[in-house]
Amino acid sequence: MILTRLATAWALFQGLLIEALPFLLIGVLISAGARWFAPGGRWLRRLPSHPLLGPLTGAALGFALPACECGNVPVARRLLSGGAPLGAGLGFLFAAPVLNPIVIASTWAAFPDQPWLLLARPLGAVLVAVALALLLGLVPEPQLLQADLLAERRLHQPLAAVGLLERSSGLVGTPPPTALSAETAPARPPLAELIKHASQEFLQLALLLVMGSVIAALVQSFVPRSWLLAVGGAPTLSILALMLLALVVSVCSSVDAFLALSFAAQVTPGALLAFLLLGPVIDLKLVSLLGLLFRPRGLVLTTAGAGLMVLLIGQWVNLWRL
Amino acid sequence: MIPPPLQRAGLWRAASLGLWAVVLIYSSVDGRLDLLLRAVFHPLVALAGLLLLAVALLQLHLAFGPGRQERGDRRQARTLLLTAAIALLVLLLPPAPSFADLAGQRPRDETAESELSFVLPPAQRSLTDWVRLLRSQPDPQLFAGDPVRISGFVLPMEGEPPQLARLLVRCCLADASPVGLPVRWPAGAAPFPADQWLAIEGVMDLRPAPGGGERLEVIPSRLRPIPRPARPLEP
Repeated sequence: MILTRLATAWALFQGLLIEALPFLLIGVLISAGARWFAPGGRWLRRLPSHPLLGPLTGAALGFALPACECGNVPVARRLLSGGAPLGAGLGFLFAAPVLNPIVIASTWAAFPDQPWLLLARPLGAVLVAVALALLLGLVPEPQLLQADLLAERRLHQPLAAVGLLERSSGLVGTPPPTALSAETAPARPPLAELIKHASQEFLQLALLLVMGSVIAALVQSFVPRSWLLAVGGAPTLSILALMLLALVVSVCSSVDAFLALSFAAQVTPGALLAFLLLGPVIDLKLVSLLGLLFRPRGLVLTTAGAGLMVLLIGQWVNLWRL
Repeated sequence: MIPPPLQRAGLWRAASLGLWAVVLIYSSVDGRLDLLLRAVFHPLVALAGLLLLAVALLQLHLAFGPGRQERGDRRQARTLLLTAAIALLVLLLPPAPSFADLAGQRPRDETAESELSFVLPPAQRSLTDWVRLLRSQPDPQLFAGDPVRISGFVLPMEGEPPQLARLLVRCCLADASPVGLPVRWPAGAAPFPADQWLAIEGVMDLRPAPGGGERLEVIPSRLRPIPRPARPLEP
């Protein structure tokens, strides 16, 4: 019995992993392409750092870089390490998995008879992303971001923006230079360097993806899903149950609408929207990938903040639609 | 376990990437994707495998170039060795899921069907077609006596005889949800084990449902075990 269950979990693991790897590769290639075509990434630092405009701009980038959430992590890492304002990078990380043509098209294909969902999903995703960017913006960067990402990011930030203790060079007493040696255009990285970096990044992310998929597969095979869907009709409980389901199932945002279709008839509309909003921001498979960007504190805040926002949005939708 | 720093890290990187490329390419030719993913994703996996192979070959070429003495630090070494080991494991241990076990864990597919625009003649309907049709047209009287020719696996049910079932998959096995038809198993015959694939020919007939009322059941006239079909998942 337990062996059968483990064999099934192994197949689930392979399914999750093999489905996500192509998207991960696309993300890594986009990020490498950005290093090649915009070396130094000066445009990144020109993104607005306004607390509201920043995340909104980041979210809008989703239309330009269509990838689902696994592919999004390397691209968001590239934005942040290139010195993009924190808000813009986070806005992209959290909203782009929903705000891109592929995901919107698949949501429409799955729910052609529910136009409200087509509007509510992107709007909700932007709301969640802005709220999370504001929340995480309250934490000082050294406590939020992983050490090596932070070090790369510092290299690309103007020295004036970094505190004296945070940079590793400069003289005490001299005013910090105002801009990052703006005259010398950064050289395009050599091809060898680019390939090495992309390969290393892909393997590192693949390892994290493996860990996430193992956890998701085990939880899925050993926790009966009917436990989660049993509370379908109750407004608040159904939202919480589907949020939990989104965490566990860990399918990509480009296909989760089709999955939601299979139980849409059993649950409240708010719960349905909650499922479609939470999955792209955080799930078991993503937690380990996000570990490449955030320290544990950032991860906890992301999970809690996203959960709360999605619950509120779901409740509001239930008040409006039920 | 912390491995020592790697000599020739470039070579290791090429090997690990190459293994993953082989995983993706090999999965798309050995039929394993038919067990794991919906068919629309298969070309994507093959394409990603080829792309990854190209990157691995470039990396290999570089590993013999000027930077060949590159040494990786311990963390890199751990990532490279672990990813290579996992790729090998995935390659050597193909998936062998129990559909009945998976289906037992999942709630039934309850997709609300709108009007079906096209209905096949009875003997050509697959199990999934039948389930969808019965759901969109709740009057069972209409179908009593229709001929049935379907295949599926044996799915044990709680408190009633096993059904013949199929798994519907929207993306990958993780989102599989079962659909099933009740079968009136021949009296006195030994029950089929869970997961056994069967081809059934027979007719639909109205029988008393376990919960009261009447429901359509498949009354088999011919029933034979078959191997698992090459494409067991239905969209």
